[in-house]
Amino acid sequence: MFDDMKRISLEACVLIALGALFGLTLNHQLVMDAFSGRLVTPQSQIVQEHVPGAMPVPVLLDEVRQLTASGALLVDARNPELYAMGHIEGAVSLPIVEIDDVLPDFLERVDKGRSLIIYCSGFGCPDSFDLGVRLIEAGYREIRVFEGGFPEWRDAGLPVAGEG
Amino acid sequence: MIGVQRVIYHLARLALALVFVYAGAVKMQNVVAFAGHVAAYQILPYAMNYLVAATLPNIEFLAGTLLLLNLRVRPALVAVGAMTLCFMAALVSVLARGLEIDCGCFDPGGGQDVTAGVALMRDIGLMALIVMTWWLRSQTTARDEQKLS
Repeated sequence: MFDDMKRISLEACVLIALGALFGLTLNHQLVMDAFSGRLVTPQSQIVQEHVPGAMPVPVLLDEVRQLTASGALLVDARNPELYAMGHIEGAVSLPIVEIDDVLPDFLERVDKGRSLIIYCSGFGCPDSFDLGVRLIEAGYREIRVFEGGFPEWRDAGLPVAGEG
Repeated sequence: MIGVQRVIYHLARLALALVFVYAGAVKMQNVVAFAGHVAAYQILPYAMNYLVAATLPNIEFLAGTLLLLNLRVRPALVAVGAMTLCFMAALVSVLARGLEIDCGCFDPGGGQDVTAGVALMRDIGLMALIVMTWWLRSQTTARDEQKLS
């Protein structure tokens, strides 16, 4: 019985190792980029090569603070009413619901080489990802998504602007 | 009764197989989005979220495939059981910290949010199914061995 359990556990470990190895083989570039902090570079390459399905890169709160300090622009994907009520200080409004109307003006004002961080109403809100994809299609190359969004920023006590 | 037990075992095995094959396959299609969901748990350091997102769906898919093919069933049950226990621990931690996140259990780009509480209930059910399948497998195997001896 004990030998049987030992064999089954060993086989389970082999199964997990094989699955992990298979996953690493398929995604080795992504994992290497994540560990070397070069995630933006391959994203830029993907976009420049116009590979279909290029995706924005998710970032966490600490990275958002570092990136905005080094010149990244925060973009609010929520509707204008929510933006007016409260948004991350320094963020510009680019509502996904009105994207066809507001994108031309955004394209004029914001250089395509600029690093952009998009957010919406937090985890589970798809607008920031959808807007990221639209902006990649429009030619922007450094697109990140802050999935914690406005709620995580506000709850961390970081500066917000708006009517409150 | 023995025949009924055998049928229930195979149904439970197939149900588990479909859950894990589907969960693995949809997440393998969208590794970056799944990494975002793993990051939402705020448990791992930044790069580790990508490592988990790159490997976990493949382990789920492989274990599910073995269950589907009725091969190495007990090692596959140990693997899915261990993963489910890890998911449950992560979900309990999310609930304890009061985070409002989507569990990311299945399609990471699907837009169908499942809260940590609902996901935990579902994982408890899944764990019960895994234990039941293990028990039924042991019963049927012991009976087959008795017949042979």
